[in-house]
Amino acid sequence: MMRYFQPEFHIVRDPARCIHCGCCVRQCANECHYFDEDGKTVLCRDESCVSCQRCVCLCPTGALRIEKFKSDYRESAVWTQQVQKEICRQASTGGTLLSAMGNPKPYPIYWDHMLLNASQVTNPSIDPLREPMEIRTFLGRKPDRLSFTKDKKLLTEMPPQIKLETPILFSAMSFGSISLNAHRALSAAAKELGTLFNTGEGGLHPDLHDMGQYAVVQVASGRFGVHKDYLNNSAFIEIKIGQGAKPGIGGHLPGEKVNVEVSNARMIPVGSDAISPAPHHDIYSIEDLRQLIWSLKEVTEGKKPVCVKIAAVHNCAAIVSGVARAGADIIAIDGFRGGTGAAPTRIRDNVGIPIELALASADQRLRDEGIRSRVSLLAAGPTRNAADVVKAIALGADAVYIASAALIAIGCHMCQTCNTGRCNWGIATQREDLTRRLNPEIAKERLVNLVTAWNHEIKEMLGGMGINSLDSLRGNRLMLRGIGLTEKELSVLGIRHAGE
Amino acid sequence: MKKVIAKENLCLNCRLCEVYCKTAHSKSKDPLRAYLNEPELQSRITVCGDNQKSVAVQCRHCDNPKCVEACITGAMQKDPVTGVVTCDAEKCIGCMTCLAVCPFGCIKIGETAVKCDLCQGEEEPACVKNCPNRALVYLEMGGKADA
Amino acid sequence: MRSYLIIGASAAGLSAAQELRAADPQGKITVLTAEEYLPYSRPSISYYLKSKVSEEDIYLRPAEFYSEKKIDVFTGARVTGLDPAAKTVTTADGRQFSYDKLCLATGSHPFVPPTEGVEGKENVVTFLDFASAKRLKEMASPEKHAVVIGAGLIGMKAAEGLVKLCKSVTVVELAESVLPSILDANSAVMVKEHLEENGISILLGNTVTRADSQGDTITSVELKNGEKLPCDLLVMAVGVRPETALAEKAGLRVERGITVDPETMQTSDPDIYAAGDCVTSVDMLDGSKKIIALWPNAVQQGKIAARQMAGKADRLTENFSVNAIDFFGLRICTCGLIHAAGDPYRELVRREGSVYKRLIVKENKLVGFVLINCIENAGIYTALIRSGTDLSTLQGDLMDMPTMLLYSEAERTSLLLGGEPA
Repeated sequence: MMRYFQPEFHIVRDPARCIHCGCCVRQCANECHYFDEDGKTVLCRDESCVSCQRCVCLCPTGALRIEKFKSDYRESAVWTQQVQKEICRQASTGGTLLSAMGNPKPYPIYWDHMLLNASQVTNPSIDPLREPMEIRTFLGRKPDRLSFTKDKKLLTEMPPQIKLETPILFSAMSFGSISLNAHRALSAAAKELGTLFNTGEGGLHPDLHDMGQYAVVQVASGRFGVHKDYLNNSAFIEIKIGQGAKPGIGGHLPGEKVNVEVSNARMIPVGSDAISPAPHHDIYSIEDLRQLIWSLKEVTEGKKPVCVKIAAVHNCAAIVSGVARAGADIIAIDGFRGGTGAAPTRIRDNVGIPIELALASADQRLRDEGIRSRVSLLAAGPTRNAADVVKAIALGADAVYIASAALIAIGCHMCQTCNTGRCNWGIATQREDLTRRLNPEIAKERLVNLVTAWNHEIKEMLGGMGINSLDSLRGNRLMLRGIGLTEKELSVLGIRHAGE
Repeated sequence: MKKVIAKENLCLNCRLCEVYCKTAHSKSKDPLRAYLNEPELQSRITVCGDNQKSVAVQCRHCDNPKCVEACITGAMQKDPVTGVVTCDAEKCIGCMTCLAVCPFGCIKIGETAVKCDLCQGEEEPACVKNCPNRALVYLEMGGKADA
Repeated sequence: MRSYLIIGASAAGLSAAQELRAADPQGKITVLTAEEYLPYSRPSISYYLKSKVSEEDIYLRPAEFYSEKKIDVFTGARVTGLDPAAKTVTTADGRQFSYDKLCLATGSHPFVPPTEGVEGKENVVTFLDFASAKRLKEMASPEKHAVVIGAGLIGMKAAEGLVKLCKSVTVVELAESVLPSILDANSAVMVKEHLEENGISILLGNTVTRADSQGDTITSVELKNGEKLPCDLLVMAVGVRPETALAEKAGLRVERGITVDPETMQTSDPDIYAAGDCVTSVDMLDGSKKIIALWPNAVQQGKIAARQMAGKADRLTENFSVNAIDFFGLRICTCGLIHAAGDPYRELVRREGSVYKRLIVKENKLVGFVLINCIENAGIYTALIRSGTDLSTLQGDLMDMPTMLLYSEAERTSLLLGGEPA
């Protein structure tokens, strides 16, 4: 059959280095590498290469390299190769284009247009290796005021608080979209780091029952795996309204990924498609949302904070305000570059707004309305490094969610084909031969290392600003300056331009 | 004594243990040169199976090794101190009797018998050191060293 | 302090001595051998003939081994008398040794059938021990025609070694196939062809009836069918017989081989044990009594005899034949009841080119195999035979190359971990 479009990538095998050990053949679930008829000589084909880099990383002699398949089209800024390929693909399938991970388009990344302050002479900088530096974070509704008895005992009844040893949480990734081994690693890392992981909408696998106290349990539109014990066996509950990668869209876990394990965790039959509707069918207003929040509080006897996660969309500041008034204790805002296991390409690439702008406007709106302390704000989608975390906190976040960065730490190479279920790194797949590739022990260590490293860097940046506690940075936009931004952007972000 | 344990549920069937075993037992200790210049090299660890189920097998350094009993030249010996079963290539004549009695299929025959020596002198055998998924671990297993 | 005496210093004798030292650090251990050499590898003599093994490398242990282990080895000590009542033995040269526990590991001797014109000729040799191998190697030369009588393991190994040393090598065998002790009929044909391709002439169903000589030197042999072959070197390899003369003279029970308790290796005299090629063994696979003249069995029996002599309770739990051999690159491995046929035996056969595999199954258990050029992992089959594993508990095709994946995961893990937790 004639192809109308070229492969994305070209596999380069250096014949001087290949020892024909066949490691690549056995490791490529896309079957790009194969043995010749002699069963000894390794050959390769480009068509299905997704550049996951698995073969490159494992090749013992460094004989493999993946490059972009280069076959130049006549230049056009409008009809680029990518645009043409997508058209051809749709012309041959008649279907919606699917993609995974976050929006890859070159929209402005505002994190890279904000600069941090540092102390000079006055308010001297602090050396985090010599002096205590507090990054412990508490999530949950804070009372407007505290009252005490005469003998200094607290009279105010404190809403439930979540104590975290770092302002970084692992974001929602469901068992089903990612493997059980990945969930094992995330939960174990969360435990060791003193933070939380998030079940996504896939429920909690029975093997991880004991990790419930380190879990944020999600209640999404499909309500998969939701029952009383699930809700109570958690750190807090998250109602998922929207997801940054695909605002306004539900989810669809194809039946072939619903094996016995997934079926148990989700409480659905083996092999049945797990469809999360676009809306919650019981939520059509802030009042409806309030009802759900309070039902969840009821079922957990008010012991679990309830978080509402929304996608960063045009009027998210107003939505955040409404959600806060509906009784949420925590609000997570997910930016349009947030990742996903599968999303329609057009939605992923064209819907939603950057988290930086959404966060700044939401924080400002809550302050303006005097209800900022009623909720904690979680920023997601994405934070790529410790500097992004610090900037998010200075813009007003209480903590951040990381997911893509966590996956990269355990092997993901952002090939953006999670939706195929053939993840060669054993992360976004349920195929047993592939999930085995992710040793939860190694993955846990890598996650712990990553967050530990970020913690160090956060402390270093705080110390440089002369701040010894993350609380002193929260919403402290004076520590940020814009660079290369318009007046409007600066005003939405609520920061001054560098040099001002 | 310390032995290599293969965790089946983590084995990737990548067979890099075989590559690194050959390399470690080559003259050059370099994979390219080992494969190019020493085609007779055999891996002392073998991954059997396919991607669906695979397990790496190498000498278990048995308490009462059948191969030592069967060796007609005295080449195969169990070290009374370390417990490691090794084949002295100088003495071995490649008669294959050891292969015929090893219950695990851990002995290969080239000019002489070839088997795992736990990379003697190294802190960790090459297969363990280079397993990308820690499916091979080097653990104290008890058992008597003295045969 | 106990005094242990071992007569014979090959597989069983050496293994007994070594095991005795392990079991009894104090005891006095004495080994007597009629040969002039410290324990050496008898199976290696064919490699010595091929010059693959040098004289220095044929010894099983370095000489220091015996002093370190305090094992006294007397070479050239041919034992001629055994007095079980006095617990003494005497050697041909008049030396006397006493014992508390004795192990007979006397092995076997070549059987040389009386043949007209052969006896006393200087170019007739056997091929069993180092001395005979040395003699054969010295006598072989490129202009000579060699005739080997007997196509058993010894005869064929001698023939293989002589091919490069002599002008021609002819093997004459009375039976209708080569290597009858280790091969079934099909594989024997394959092996015969391979041996012939490599320069050995093989005459089956035939034998040497007489030899013609000039002086003390045989020059030709006449065969049963009347054919005459030039012969400058005659190797007698018809077979071996267990060396039981000493035991018989001392009044021990003997039936072909020395009779022993199959589990303890004890002879009819409670202080005398026997091990190796000189004893009558019981094949665990069919309960038959036979001489299992194989190295691993001799080692195991020597070990058990030693443990028993030292007062330990260990018993011999397995006894069956396993053999691996190579002829000009053709690799053969056989085990167990290779000739078993008919009910209750069932066979699985696969033959492709020069590769041959035959498995013999009885009551869903493996009891024998013949592998030619597919010997990889043969020990796994051997283990299935040894353990009497029910084949229905295995996974995959038994006829493929055996691997540990034949076992269920639980069984495999348990075997690989040696029953110990990870």
